[in-house]
Amino acid sequence: MNKAKRVTLLIGSPRGESSTSSSLGNYILKKLENKNFITEVLYIHSQLKSQNKIEEMLNELENTNLIIISFPLYVDTLPAPVIRSFELIVENISKNNKRKDQKLMAIANCGFLEASHNKYALKNCESLAREIGVEWIGGLSLGGGEAIGGKPLDDLGGMATNIRKSLDLVVEAIIKDELISEKAIEYLAKPLVPSKFLFTFIGSMSWRIQAFKNKVYGQLNDKPFRE
Amino acid sequence: MKVLLLNGEKNEKNDLNQFVGVMERKLEQRDWLVNEIKLHKKTIADCLGCFACWVKKPGLCIIDDDAQEIARRFINSDLIIYLTPVFFGGYSYQLKKALDRMIPLMSPFFTKVDGEIHHKPRYGKYPSIIGIGVMTEFNKEEAELFKNLVRRNSINLHSPNCASDIFIKDKETDCIEQKIYNLLNKVSDKK
Repeated sequence: MNKAKRVTLLIGSPRGESSTSSSLGNYILKKLENKNFITEVLYIHSQLKSQNKIEEMLNELENTNLIIISFPLYVDTLPAPVIRSFELIVENISKNNKRKDQKLMAIANCGFLEASHNKYALKNCESLAREIGVEWIGGLSLGGGEAIGGKPLDDLGGMATNIRKSLDLVVEAIIKDELISEKAIEYLAKPLVPSKFLFTFIGSMSWRIQAFKNKVYGQLNDKPFRE
Repeated sequence: MKVLLLNGEKNEKNDLNQFVGVMERKLEQRDWLVNEIKLHKKTIADCLGCFACWVKKPGLCIIDDDAQEIARRFINSDLIIYLTPVFFGGYSYQLKKALDRMIPLMSPFFTKVDGEIHHKPRYGKYPSIIGIGVMTEFNKEEAELFKNLVRRNSINLHSPNCASDIFIKDKETDCIEQKIYNLLNKVSDKK
C-alpha cells in the first residue's frame, strides 16, 4: 500500500468556514479523507494574524503533497491576503532553497454569473506554481458563487449537481495522480442560473431585501464621496 | 487633471522612487496635480467581504481606517496610477489591499458590458487607469497577465481610458521617461 498522501486546503476567503470557498474545498477534502488521505485546512486570513501562525502555515505547506487554494475573486484577481501568503511562500522557498516534489491546484469563485471572470486569477496561481517549482495540476472556476453561501454542497440538491460532478472528477484525478480533466473544468464553469436576466433579477432583489432589513433601502444609491 | 498615484512598493528597502520621480516630473509638465500615496505607510485593513458597504452603509466601508480617505481621493481623481512590483503577473499585496477596499465605490446592482455582467457604477464619473508594473527580470507571460489585469480592472471600474506597461527595475533607465510619456498620452488622447 502507498504511503498516505497529505493534502492541504488553503481557504482564501475572509468568511472562513462559512464561505463558498470552504464549501468547495471541503467537499473535495471529505472525499479524500474517506480514501485515507491526510488532510489539513488553513484559513489564510487567520494564519496571517501572527508570526507563529505564519510559520505554522509555511511549515505545513513545506510538508504537504498537494496544495489546494480555494478563494473568492476580488477586483478581478486574488484577495490581498492570498497575495500576501503567496509572497511568503516564495520568500520561504528561496530561504530554504529546497527542491519541491509537490502539486498545486486552485478553485476560484466569483459573484458574477460568468465563471470566465476568474481566468486571470487562476493564471496568477499557475504563475505561483512556476515560481516555486511545483507541478500545476489545474484551475477551476465557478460563477455565481454567492448562491452557495457557504452551505455544504450535499445539502444543495439539484442546484449543485454540476458542481458535485466536477469536484468528484477532481477527487478522482487526485487519487489517480492525474491532471484535472477538461470535463471537471467544464462542469464547474456551467452557470448556476439558466439566464443572465434571471441572475441579475434575483441578485438585485437580494441586495434590496438586505438593505430593506437594515433600514437603508432609500440610501442604496448614495454617493458619500461626491465632491 | 487630478492624479492619484497609488504606490504599491513593498517597503522602504524595495522602493520604486525611480519611477515616482519621473512620473511626477512628467505630470507637472502637463500641469496635472499629482498626489502620491505610499500604501505600506498607511493603515489599511484587509476587506472583510461582508458587503456592508452595499447593504448596511451604502457607499462606505464599515472599517474606519486610511482606506476611507483613499476611496474619497480615488473617486474624485481623473487618473489613477497603479505603481507596483509585479508578483505572479499581478499586483503587490500593498496595492491589492487598497484596491480590495474600493468596492464601496461601485453599486451592488448589475449592468452588462459587451454582454458580460459587471456592477453598475455608483458615481457618474470614474478615473482612467495607468498600470506600471515593475519586474526584476522580464517575463513575457507575467507581463501579459499584468496588462490584462489592468484592462479587466478598467472594465469593472467603468474607466474611460486605460493603459499599462512593464518596466525592468534598475535597467533600461534611459527609456523610462519615454515609456511614461507614451502612457500619459494614451490616457489623455482617447475620449
